Amino acid sequence: MSEKASAISVRNVSITYKWIKAYSIKKNLLRLKKADNQIVEAVKNVSFEVPEGSILGIIGKNGSGKSTILKALAGIFSADEGEIDLHGHSVSLLAIGVGFQKELTGRENILLCGMLLGFSEDYVREKMPEIIKFAEIGKFIDMPVRTYSSGMYSKLAFSITAILETDIMLVDEVLSVGDHKFKKKSFKKMQELISDSHRTVVIVSHSIPSLRSLCQNVIWMHDGEIKRMGEANEVLDEYTEFMN
Amino acid sequence: MKRFWSDLKKHNGYALYAAKAELKAEVASSYLNWIWWVLEPLCFMIIYSIVFGYIFNAREQYFSVFIFIGITAWDFFSRNLRNSVRMVKKNKAIVSKVYIPKFILVLSKMYVNGFKMLISFAIIIIMLVVYRVPITINIVLVIPLLAILWVLSFGLMCILLHFGVFIDDLSNIINLLLKFVFYMTGIFYNIETRIGKKNPMLGSLVGEWNPMAYLIISFRKVILYGETPKLILIAVWFAISCLISIYGVHLIYKNENSYVKVI
Repeated sequence: MSEKASAISVRNVSITYKWIKAYSIKKNLLRLKKADNQIVEAVKNVSFEVPEGSILGIIGKNGSGKSTILKALAGIFSADEGEIDLHGHSVSLLAIGVGFQKELTGRENILLCGMLLGFSEDYVREKMPEIIKFAEIGKFIDMPVRTYSSGMYSKLAFSITAILETDIMLVDEVLSVGDHKFKKKSFKKMQELISDSHRTVVIVSHSIPSLRSLCQNVIWMHDGEIKRMGEANEVLDEYTEFMN
Repeated sequence: MKRFWSDLKKHNGYALYAAKAELKAEVASSYLNWIWWVLEPLCFMIIYSIVFGYIFNAREQYFSVFIFIGITAWDFFSRNLRNSVRMVKKNKAIVSKVYIPKFILVLSKMYVNGFKMLISFAIIIIMLVVYRVPITINIVLVIPLLAILWVLSFGLMCILLHFGVFIDDLSNIINLLLKFVFYMTGIFYNIETRIGKKNPMLGSLVGEWNPMAYLIISFRKVILYGETPKLILIAVWFAISCLISIYGVHLIYKNENSYVKVI
């Protein structure tokens, strides 16, 4: 462990999906045989520490449990075994356009989305000009979101999550939104957010180049287990080899 | 319990704002829309007045207001309950992306329906003036009665939200049950005279131990007829509602982390 305090401690975490098929009374009356519950172990006995201010990448093929870990970190669901300790930091999953109401204007959606992420109304209002400026969608900000092009939509959504900051940021797939210029700008903003020495970031991605340029450490997950964990370039080289 | 209050404080702003947004969105989709909030209960009142006042010869004093009070309270209750069954699935986009205590979704819906109920209450006040109904001090009892209605709905919604996640066709059952309770609640007839005279036992059973019937009868008593309902029942029902709510919130807290895995 480094000299810095941990921001995230994950200890022996296992997460299973019980494939609880939503149960229906009609089905049960018609077919008395009990459907056996399939159990899928998405994450098996995983432990790692993320020091404060560092950037961790998680890589792995589809279904290896990357996103499950991320969701567990975000508190969307709890681990079945083991524990996750965030040491009191605030956390948010960088999610695009959560809770948007298409009939409302961009401005109102900023408030709605921000408050959903757990920020106070005053704080969101205070940050509003910055978000609008960053989103660069001009006068559309006072138009209903349903009139937006998909590019504008994701630009606005990205700006909200990028400007409203939390101590720990969880990113599922590095975002590529908007036109070329905005993509560059958002990548730069990501880097800026990420390189803030107080912010801890966990990124899940398939993109080896972006993980290489953003992260210091990388975890390679395979079938719910950690296959390799260590310095970014080393792990990524090995992963590339493995995938080929 | 402590967690409930702190979560409530933290997220209530969102619940309110989301409710406002939903109402706004409803209005935005068509210009006439908010008029429907007024028109719908009014039309139902007219239908019931014709059917039951004329065909079935109901003889209650202030019959239109009598019906309207029933519809107002019932609509709030049944809309809430029906909405809560599929609450988590409907909000999948939110639930699978951020953590919020799930009862906040319930609360937000209640604000939406509560606002519509307020409009209805405004109409009731207008009707009271038009019909020159004498108002007595009993009308202050509307406040505790509304509180019961609110807490009771909240508790039941939490419980339905929980089971709605796991049971696919719960909404069918709830619709059936609501229909049954609807007829047992005396929206358009007076339980005390219609059932109570034939069978006093059954009358008091339905009128006092069906919470919605009790609430609606009491609303009518305090608003229209200047009578005092049984005060002890107000206390009893408030206590029961609180217990239901505590159970509901507890249920959600214990299980909400697995909701995402199911939907």
